[in-house]
Amino acid sequence: MDKPEVAIELYVLLSAILFILGAMGVLLRRNAILIFMSVELMLNAANLALAAFARQWGNVDGHLMVFFVMTVAASEVAVGLALIVAIFRTKQSIDIDDLHMFKD
Amino acid sequence: MELTLFIIVGAIAVATAAMMLISENAVHSALFLIVNFGCIAFFFLMLHAPFLAMVQITVYAGAIMVLFLFVIMLLGAERLLPEKEARFPWLSPAAVFLALVFLVVTSLTILRGEIDLTEPEETISQVRVVNTLENTENVDVYLGDERIASDLSYRETTDYQDWAVGRYESLTVRAAGGDDVLYTHDRPVDLTGGDAIVLVLVRSSDGIELVTGTENLSGIDDRESMRVMAINGFHDQAAIDVYDTSEGRDKLLIENLAYREASKGVVVGVQDDMELAVTPHGSKAQILTVNSDDLDFARDESLLLVLTDRQQPDNSWQNVVIDLQSDVEPSFGSPRHVGQLLFSRYVLPFEMVALVLLVAMIGAIVLTHETLGRRQRRIVRRLANPPVGLDQPIVGNPANPVSRGE
Repeated sequence: MDKPEVAIELYVLLSAILFILGAMGVLLRRNAILIFMSVELMLNAANLALAAFARQWGNVDGHLMVFFVMTVAASEVAVGLALIVAIFRTKQSIDIDDLHMFKD
Repeated sequence: MELTLFIIVGAIAVATAAMMLISENAVHSALFLIVNFGCIAFFFLMLHAPFLAMVQITVYAGAIMVLFLFVIMLLGAERLLPEKEARFPWLSPAAVFLALVFLVVTSLTILRGEIDLTEPEETISQVRVVNTLENTENVDVYLGDERIASDLSYRETTDYQDWAVGRYESLTVRAAGGDDVLYTHDRPVDLTGGDAIVLVLVRSSDGIELVTGTENLSGIDDRESMRVMAINGFHDQAAIDVYDTSEGRDKLLIENLAYREASKGVVVGVQDDMELAVTPHGSKAQILTVNSDDLDFARDESLLLVLTDRQQPDNSWQNVVIDLQSDVEPSFGSPRHVGQLLFSRYVLPFEMVALVLLVAMIGAIVLTHETLGRRQRRIVRRLANPPVGLDQPIVGNPANPVSRGE
């Protein structure tokens, strides 16, 4: 297969930037749903890098990896959102700073 | 052109990710994230991964984000609470600092070209053997010391087998006669990495030849075409040309194919009545015509023609063509390619992921099941403060005195 027209390094760089943005979201935001969305952004950045390397090697195994990551992300979202709903029922808040049980 | 597109869409992706971070309204964040997922689907398309792009749109931008929006609206959490005093005031600057450090380190690594992108050496090649020897007993073929084909009859072919790359001596042995060597081939067989190699046994004037050809099984973009590859096994050892003569055309496909040589795969457009003409090199005297009544010209496949001849009882020679179909590999990243791998090499991970999904489903039900939580809470309350009076002797109701013991 012909070489990709855009250098793979650029894809990896973009993926790193998106990953860092997602990590900052996890650390800086205090809304549990937003933290969850940031985790999804990080997973997507990793997927982009996987697809880029799969293109570089002409090896479709990377695509399978992305596929599995997507499936696991879907199940993770189902459980995570169920957790958030359950927490909201008892605490009436999804601010993670309110979710401490031992110390006030 | 592609670089401009990459920069534009990449800028949109980074901008939407940043907007998702700083947006005050959770619904806006979710919408920005959907745009970001759309950009990533576009990158998947640019990376020749159409299946992933499709799944990204339907599963991520569709199903998962709908779930997010649903929960945001259900909890009424779209407006963020007024920012209270942060519990860890040092966390924000520390996070930003670490993120910047990470960004600098990774971009330095990438821009200095320290990602190893050299192609790994292919160590496996796929080999199959075809027997075109008529009036001979079934044969075994050895490559080096190992047998690659056993009891191979006329017009029969083996499946593709994985062999280590290298140079092999080859040997043809009569299958029935134990170690009776029919012919030791003087030309060694070179197996090159990552290729599909076909070894064809043809008759030569003084014995048996083993002709080596490299098949091109990669997918053809045009689905109305097929690859045709020819091997010259005519006993008079003359070079040949192959023309496409269907519907009055006269297109040279393969030129000057010498004896014992295999041509490269030539892409031919397939119509209903295909016709190929084989001529001696440089002259238009037709020696063999191949048409779609005899052979099956199928779209999106690879056809190997072994052009050979056989001796009739009256010592005249009759030209014979032996055709071998093989499926071409699906094009890179196509749903067919991914599906084939998913149901062959990745069946076990696939099943495990299915199990994870099932557990997640049950987990979501258990976590949000209302009566389950309430019952547990009631039990806790009962133990903590039992109903009043259980520990006292039962006395008559003072409002309705009933005399006892009368």
